[in-house]
Amino acid sequence: MFNIVSVIFKYIFIFIIYVFILSIIRLIYLDIKGIYPIAVNNSAYLKLINRKDTLPFKVREYYPLGDKVTLGRSNNNQIVIKDPYISKQHLRVIKDEDKYYLEDTNSANGTFLNGERVMDAVCLKNGDRISVGQVDFLFVNKE
Amino acid sequence: MKNNSINKEIRRVIVVLVMICVLFVSLMVYLTYFQVFRAESVKMNSYNKRLWINEEKILRGSIIDRNGKILAYSEKDGETYKRVYNYGNLYGHIIGYSYRELGKAGLELRYNNELLNISKSSALNELKNIVAPNTEGNTLKLTIDHHLQELSRSLLQGKKGAIVAMNPTTGEIYSMVSMPDFNPSALRESWSDIVEDENSPLLNRAISGLYQPGSTFKVITAIAAIETGTAEKGYTCKGSTTIGGAPFSCYNKTVHGNLQLTEALVKSCNLYFAEKGVEVGIEKLEEVSERFYMNKTIPFDLPVVKSSFPNRMNMDKASVAAASMGQGEVLISPLNMAMIASAIANNGEVVKPILVKEIISPEGSIVDFAEREVLSNGTDGFTASELTNMMVEVVQRGTGKNARISGVKVAGKTGTAENHTGKDHAWFIGFAPADNPKVALAVVLEEEGSSGGTAAAPIAKKIILEALNTIE
Amino acid sequence: MFNGRINYRLPRNLLFVFELLALMLIFLYYRHTLNRITVIYSLALILLVYISNFLLLKITSGDNFIFLIVTMLVSIGVIMIYRIDPELGIKQILWIGMGIMLFFMTYLVFKRIRGWENWFLLYALASIALFILTLVLGTNIKGATNWIRIGSFGLQPSEIIKILAIFLIASYYTNHEKFTRMKFGKYYLLGIIYVFVLFLFLQKDLGSVLIFLSVFIALQFIYEEDRKLVLINLSILVVCAIAGYFLFSHVQSRVHTWLDPWKYIDTRGYQITQSLFAIAEGGFFGTGLGLGYPEFIPEVHTDFIFPAICEEMGIFTGIGIIMLFLILVYRGFKIAINQKYKSYRIVALGISILFGIQSFIIFGGVLNMIPLTGITIPFVSYGGSSMLSSFIALGILQVASEELDLDEE
Repeated sequence: MFNIVSVIFKYIFIFIIYVFILSIIRLIYLDIKGIYPIAVNNSAYLKLINRKDTLPFKVREYYPLGDKVTLGRSNNNQIVIKDPYISKQHLRVIKDEDKYYLEDTNSANGTFLNGERVMDAVCLKNGDRISVGQVDFLFVNKE
Repeated sequence: MKNNSINKEIRRVIVVLVMICVLFVSLMVYLTYFQVFRAESVKMNSYNKRLWINEEKILRGSIIDRNGKILAYSEKDGETYKRVYNYGNLYGHIIGYSYRELGKAGLELRYNNELLNISKSSALNELKNIVAPNTEGNTLKLTIDHHLQELSRSLLQGKKGAIVAMNPTTGEIYSMVSMPDFNPSALRESWSDIVEDENSPLLNRAISGLYQPGSTFKVITAIAAIETGTAEKGYTCKGSTTIGGAPFSCYNKTVHGNLQLTEALVKSCNLYFAEKGVEVGIEKLEEVSERFYMNKTIPFDLPVVKSSFPNRMNMDKASVAAASMGQGEVLISPLNMAMIASAIANNGEVVKPILVKEIISPEGSIVDFAEREVLSNGTDGFTASELTNMMVEVVQRGTGKNARISGVKVAGKTGTAENHTGKDHAWFIGFAPADNPKVALAVVLEEEGSSGGTAAAPIAKKIILEALNTIE
Repeated sequence: MFNGRINYRLPRNLLFVFELLALMLIFLYYRHTLNRITVIYSLALILLVYISNFLLLKITSGDNFIFLIVTMLVSIGVIMIYRIDPELGIKQILWIGMGIMLFFMTYLVFKRIRGWENWFLLYALASIALFILTLVLGTNIKGATNWIRIGSFGLQPSEIIKILAIFLIASYYTNHEKFTRMKFGKYYLLGIIYVFVLFLFLQKDLGSVLIFLSVFIALQFIYEEDRKLVLINLSILVVCAIAGYFLFSHVQSRVHTWLDPWKYIDTRGYQITQSLFAIAEGGFFGTGLGLGYPEFIPEVHTDFIFPAICEEMGIFTGIGIIMLFLILVYRGFKIAINQKYKSYRIVALGISILFGIQSFIIFGGVLNMIPLTGITIPFVSYGGSSMLSSFIALGILQVASEELDLDEE
């Protein structure tokens, strides 16, 4: 009786171990690509335009946007980018009635929307280009 | 500058990572290689205790001769099984032994899986084995004829040497004896004596002994001479001569005078074959001998040592001449010699020798059986029949007279091989009846000190007679 | 890691199912001798592993893979050890439990420690003190004097020194400029590592010699600015290796056994050939747990756990374990590359190389691919010192995987 169970189980074990390995490899792959399944589900996100390896600090390919997202060098922001040209509290994006508004929070070097400095809260539309410090983002809103 | 040094660092980190990856991948490759190519042979090592665990649960199969006579079997002995060898010394070299302390040898080793009925591991077999574990192994049916085996051994009693008798057409071995031998039943008690004995009784001379073939090798030279047309010209033997600066002479310096191939073979004239061998050349001699599986591994149920025919760059004439009369560097196993005799009997076809005829399941059905297999074409039918006629004359009126049987045409060739011990090996190879061969054989008496015609031919005669009378 | 729970649930649950099934099978195997403590301990371990993996996702902002991989390795190992000897299995469960605790403690403590990269002298002195302690108090086990016995408790100091050595190398190269300005500063590290190796050689612990040297050479290759020094180091080692071979009979005998283990099958080749039998016998899928004979191999629960796994769980599981280690090493390197601070980078690299090399040496050894040296597989083999020190190293790696902020605040 034990023998039969053991023989059947050995195939199950090998199967589980390999599915485990594959699922980890898949997760690592997703991690490297910076594509989180959540980012695709979310309707709006920021996409990095710069080539990632040209920047001397950590930055991701995608940042999904929620109701209120702040960006800056300090750790208490939702999006943390350690670019010396970015202020500790640099900007914020606020969602209001299905529209996203970009606002500069008194940054030293300013925020640029399609090349123009942002002075007041501006409504974002799909395909807008946002520049902060050395980083350029594309605003994507699929809705 | 800073950026540059970070890039350099990352580059080196990646180099190290790649090296570790290479190490790990090589581990996986090696593991797979080991499993696919090495595992089977590693498992068979007698130090693997797992082999013996099966042994205790499964009744090891019997080994029987071609007529069903039981040669070895296992019986219950308390919790385990005991192996019994019915005929002691008679089958020591063929069947071998299977003891926990000493390991396994012979057919017991080679057919271990079959004797224990361990099937190749596959998921299905495995489950089958677990649901209904087998308790009894398969029986091996040999091609050996027990009577002929007994006779062969009694004829070698007190001598050193080997006899191989076989069916020239099918390759079935009728008897295979090597002396001195050992008793597998009493192996545990006498192990240290046997191992230290300088006559090496554990050595199966029929397949693991290599001898200079002497004049029996002249059949190979004769085939080369017929095939190249060199044999059409005669030769005048003056008893002795020099070739390539070295002296050569016939047995007892006999002057044979003017002779053709038939007469040269009948009288076993050394000088004729030395001359013809040099004429056809070492390349041709090598090619012919390799067709008869010299320098090659002979596929067999037991491991056979490779016979060797020399071919080096720039071999001098004297060495070529010595090789063509079976002296010098030519070395051959008795089984190989019996195969050469069989091939001549068999229109030139070299057949694979067979020792295990059938594997029979405990229920009595045949699981596997050996099929006749032609290994190569030794020579063409015309050359084979011409040579057969000459070999008949050798026995009729030449050196092989002692093998003559009234009413049966026996074909044969004697050999007396000089060697470093100073005592000649005595050889006889042959087959009978010449026009419808039923049995072929090779007899070698190691360091016998007399000629093949006087010592080996009478033994061959008795075996042929017995084989023709008793074997179906 | 937004909404990470969704992503990591699959492997975590797989691990859970694997452990549960294996446990059922083992309990079935030992159904006659089973007692309540065993069941409670085993279930507690499964729960601990599951919760730890869950918890770690919440508290760390860094890597989420290494702990998952390690818990899989630990599970395979403990199942095999339990199957070979239930008593050792229980002990191993306790070691793992302590190891996981130690992992979290290391993580929490090391995250808060600052300035450790400047304690070069401390690491060097502590290591040498431990080495001397081993030489004085050490007991001889399996021909190597690398154990200290305190009561019934055995400790292998070289396991701790491995980590100290990595910190030593890290602190040296972090303060490289300072050291190079000193007289002979370039040779400080080289000298100290050679002293370590000499000690290990005196203990006849050849496996550890190999590990120390590999980790050192790899880190030196990456961080040494003076490339000539790397070459000099390598050539000294080659010369020493050749000299060692001719001078010491125990080195020679290892090499001879490696080249032809079958010749020494009765004596010193016995263990390795038994290991090869086990691997050969297992085939690709193994015999099934409890159906093989791994107990034929001496020392099967420590150094030779891998052939036991291959025999009963198959070459495929064996390859799986090798792949898990490869992923672990890869993650470690990835952590290092992403780390901003050099000191943490070196430590992360050192630990990854340590895991990689150590497992390679013993995998290769039991396969007879390289000469056999008795060391444990991290996380898989039985052994308290090895398990605890490996989990400490993992905790350090976990800290290094996070985005640290040392300058601000």
